[in-house]
Amino acid sequence: MAIPDIYTEGIASGWKVIDGATLRAPQTLEADVAIIGSGAGGGVAAEILSLAGLKVVLLEEGALRTSASFKDMDELRAMSQLYQEAGARATSDGAIAVLQGRSVGGSTTVNWTSSFRTPPLTLKHWAEQHEVVGHSVDDMKPWFEKMEQRLNVALWEAPNANNHVLKRGCEKLGWEAHAIPRNVKGCWNTGYCGFGCPVNAKQSMLVSTIPVALQNGATLVHRVRVRQLQHANGQVSGATGEALRNDGLTPSGVTLTIKARHFIAAGGAINTPALLLRSGAPDPHERLGRHTLIHPVVLSLAQMPEQIDPFYGAPQSIASDHFQWLNGAAGPMGYKLEVPPIFPGIGAGVLNTFGKALQQEAAALPHTSAVLALLRDGFVEQSPGGRVRLADDGSPMLDYDLSDYVWEGVKRAYLSMVELQFAAGAQRVRTAHVDASYQTSWDAARRQIEALPMQKFRATLFTAHLMGGCAMSQNPKRGVVDSRGRHHQLGNLSVMDGSVFPTSIGANPQLSIFGLTAQNATALGKELRG
Amino acid sequence: MRPESAAGDSVAGLPRRDFLKVGVGFSIALTLGTAIVGCSDSAKAPVQGFAFLHPGDVELFSALAPAVVLELANFDEAKRKLVVGDMLRVIDGTLAAMALGSQKEVRKLLDLLAIAPLRYVLTGVGAWNEAGVEKMQAFIERWRGSRFGTLNAGGNVLVKLSATSFYLLPVSWPSAGYPGPLAYAFNAINS
Repeated sequence: MAIPDIYTEGIASGWKVIDGATLRAPQTLEADVAIIGSGAGGGVAAEILSLAGLKVVLLEEGALRTSASFKDMDELRAMSQLYQEAGARATSDGAIAVLQGRSVGGSTTVNWTSSFRTPPLTLKHWAEQHEVVGHSVDDMKPWFEKMEQRLNVALWEAPNANNHVLKRGCEKLGWEAHAIPRNVKGCWNTGYCGFGCPVNAKQSMLVSTIPVALQNGATLVHRVRVRQLQHANGQVSGATGEALRNDGLTPSGVTLTIKARHFIAAGGAINTPALLLRSGAPDPHERLGRHTLIHPVVLSLAQMPEQIDPFYGAPQSIASDHFQWLNGAAGPMGYKLEVPPIFPGIGAGVLNTFGKALQQEAAALPHTSAVLALLRDGFVEQSPGGRVRLADDGSPMLDYDLSDYVWEGVKRAYLSMVELQFAAGAQRVRTAHVDASYQTSWDAARRQIEALPMQKFRATLFTAHLMGGCAMSQNPKRGVVDSRGRHHQLGNLSVMDGSVFPTSIGANPQLSIFGLTAQNATALGKELRG
Repeated sequence: MRPESAAGDSVAGLPRRDFLKVGVGFSIALTLGTAIVGCSDSAKAPVQGFAFLHPGDVELFSALAPAVVLELANFDEAKRKLVVGDMLRVIDGTLAAMALGSQKEVRKLLDLLAIAPLRYVLTGVGAWNEAGVEKMQAFIERWRGSRFGTLNAGGNVLVKLSATSFYLLPVSWPSAGYPGPLAYAFNAINS
């Protein structure tokens, strides 16, 4: 049963898709709106603005990879083609692995489909603490509804064995747990969301909004790295980019010049601040690239008596907010509990062992279940987040330190995860920490966690959610953009991606980006149509 | 706190006070090392067919592979060579795709380990190709157990590159209990 490739058919029907690697001479592109980045923000903005009758050019650094190339369902191909830095992106000190997408569709092409509305307490905190307006629960409701409908978001009621461990543990302990809404249509329940959906069921930007934008006359240019925005007198006059070779990494020497009435930065919370830093965008209050939030992730591994096969089935379908809002938005760090899928490659990274230990743990993979905690960073002063800065060649680097406040959250998260896994029937449990070893009882595991050093390079740390760095606030002293995503100093520049969030979200952020972008892009479209 | 042990914090039998000189960071040690030893130009260029790995790096990862991935011992020599070759290509591709900031850090680490006297002091290993599995494991164990974050970081990155480069290959699947792409879906999509 061949799966039709949307792009093969679309390009044949006249879609304007330009592969930067094929360009041999300098290009100039003109549009009403130039969107830099094709992920959750750029994809939604491209559809809405194209439908508003505006001429849109969508620029993406990664390559166009479509279902035709996802058919192998292969982890190595996915890592090397669909992730930033071939899956090896990390914080500047190497302590936190950063999983972030890099192809047309951005992270929506590879994420695990969890689609939560921005939690009400997060929206309230933004209004009360960050001078954000227009994004209350009531303001956002129609936009979340619109995007949920657009992307077929619905609760997934059939957890796989890996998610069922979380469900069962929560039930035993009386902890809150809920089914996860997913953006899928005709999902085959295979579990390969992270490698590019081979059956076009995941409603990523790749298969939903970007095709509609292209049908409505938008131009997609991929394998092009936008280097700089030119600006003068408070206006962006143009953008320059470099075409990349087939490797998607090295510039070919061919340059692109982009002219537009309005520019939208949508490269995500690492690449968007980096673009603005490279461009020397005005930053009178030193907010740019500051307060970058990452939902630091820690994990615990359990060996279960039953077969788990943590690689198969919808990767995330159960979550627990039991420890998320115990003290409202502030107070000691909150965290959301979920499970990750575990394939052999990424699994080896999570195990972070070698020799005999690695051999035994890998062999036990079919009986292994993992729980992860997403730590909700950026809500209190003791959690200031990180900072994006530039390497010599202008590429981004992310500094992120964990304060005592965060480490205290890590320790509680370890305790919660281990308690949960034993309650769910685990035979042996260990935290993903270099100094941890498998324990066979909750009591022994608890004692071990109390003694673990809470340090970088000892705790195995991940992030898959990049937020902040171009925070929104009505107060120009506190934010890079206003509540509608408009840059405070550059009149025809907007930011529409996770970098506008003043704090982390407290849940997987894609629907927060979809909803906020839908609202802000709609307002922008009206304004530009004037 | 993590238990402190003399074994965990000394390298190649050297007491901690000597070790401190190189523990403050790779940069200082590297400057020192290159000043003493220097480096030939061919040693500083990627091996033919690779984008990032220098000859010394290939020796290092070839020696690390069987120490990190014991499964390699189950293959005959010809197969083992093929698999290690594939692992090296994955490692090279990953490093080549890293942003400049990370590349510089990894390059510092690898250059440091390519300088024989420093390598011996830091790892207890004379020549990579003569080290053997146990000596390589002892080196990684010491680095990861050290009280110095820089060595922990180095140990982690070497383990991660080696381990993932194997488990990303289909040849690893039987040893990870992974049957491969979910059969009914794979067959339906590819028929």
